[in-house]
Amino acid sequence: MTGRAARRILALALCAAFLAGCASPLKRAKVHYARAQELDRSYESGPAAAAMKRALLEAGAAARKNPSAQAYTLKGLAEARLERWADAAASFRRAFAFGFEPGESWAADVALLGAALSFEASGLADAAGRVYAHLMARSKFAPVRTAAAGKHVDLALSRALAASDKDRDKALAGLVKDVGRLLDDDYASGFAHYLLSQVLAHRGELRPSYEEAVLARELGLPSEKVLRDNDNQIVYCRDRVREALGPEERAAFDVVHDAWAARWGWRDARTPPWKKE
Amino acid sequence: MSRKDIEQALVRGVEALAAFLPSAPSLLFPVLSSVCVWAVRRVFNYRDHILTWKVWLDPETIRTKPDDFIRHFFAKDPVLAGVYAAELEAGDIKGLRAAFPALYPVLGLEDAFLRGLFRAELAAGDLRRIVAEFEPRAAAAAESIKPAEADPAFWKFLETFGMELASLGLHLLKDGTVEDLILAAIEAKRPEEGGSA
Repeated sequence: MTGRAARRILALALCAAFLAGCASPLKRAKVHYARAQELDRSYESGPAAAAMKRALLEAGAAARKNPSAQAYTLKGLAEARLERWADAAASFRRAFAFGFEPGESWAADVALLGAALSFEASGLADAAGRVYAHLMARSKFAPVRTAAAGKHVDLALSRALAASDKDRDKALAGLVKDVGRLLDDDYASGFAHYLLSQVLAHRGELRPSYEEAVLARELGLPSEKVLRDNDNQIVYCRDRVREALGPEERAAFDVVHDAWAARWGWRDARTPPWKKE
Repeated sequence: MSRKDIEQALVRGVEALAAFLPSAPSLLFPVLSSVCVWAVRRVFNYRDHILTWKVWLDPETIRTKPDDFIRHFFAKDPVLAGVYAAELEAGDIKGLRAAFPALYPVLGLEDAFLRGLFRAELAAGDLRRIVAEFEPRAAAAAESIKPAEADPAFWKFLETFGMELASLGLHLLKDGTVEDLILAAIEAKRPEEGGSA
């Protein structure tokens, strides 16, 4: 057993023992939330979301049983992490009413994001795009900033596709800068590298796009679906990069790519483990 | 592993799940097959995977792809390349782009829930029907599952049910066999309801 595995088992055992001894839903919510944050920091985003879902169930019970700023703040944080924006805004407003000062601005950011999502759903893409760009640049609440970044990039890419060549190049260059600022804030964000990889592919820069997608996979992604999309990006870029290389360079590229594929447990150079056989 | 035990567990699972989705029997198969994906794989932390997995649409990926990515997606998949041979040959990127938002989540991302929702079309190779019906059917499914999503007992059920299936050795069966067993369990429930699942 490796040291890391042993530490993980010990942490799980301690966590389980602590949970068993916890009497109140609020305490259990805090333990699950702390565990989710720890997993997030280790880029284990799937288990982190699961821990957050458990934290949400317990925080919801705590808020019903004994309403408090802490219970509503925890509930709002878990809801935001799980992208339940309208619920999160309501929880932060309740937390503010119970005396949690930042709750007001967090609720405003979350509500703004919810409004932008509604704008987009009802066809007001330009208005939604402006709000996403604002939140991506200004929000102090990280879950909102990340979600807004994804939406901003997607909308901007769709507008760029419809533009003339010159305007498209300009828009894509702007997007590279936008995502670059996100990376300046947190270079270890797998999601930001995923976004950059997507933008670079639109610019036809497939080797850098491949490298960003590899980095994103290594750093961790926020959901199984994003991970799968990123894997498809890796396969697409890998195919196209290989096609453009001479025999010697291609062989060297294959050695590197095959090493990554083996490290990730892929069945072969083009087949991630989640693909149906 | 006892196949009979798995069959009985699935019948019980259909019964319990039907109580969470009283007005949406068409979602029994997609939800059950989503749970089985993780039980079949028997990954170390499958309990977390079941809790993490959203069994309905979530648009958090970047959906806007370059033309060449879309062309590559259709050309490299043998089934897609066959069905969309005319568009590929004619370089009809507009036609391919119109079909992409429906087919990429189902065949590219292999969303277990969507694969369950369009199981009949996938089995028949009727990919153009998936494209034609994707938006209304996916939207209706997402709407129908909302009440269950808000119920903590729904998640608890998915978690314990997935654990039970994994402990019964579901991973030893092929995907197709598991799908047949789920369908048989849903069929077994049909007569008492007098409706279609």
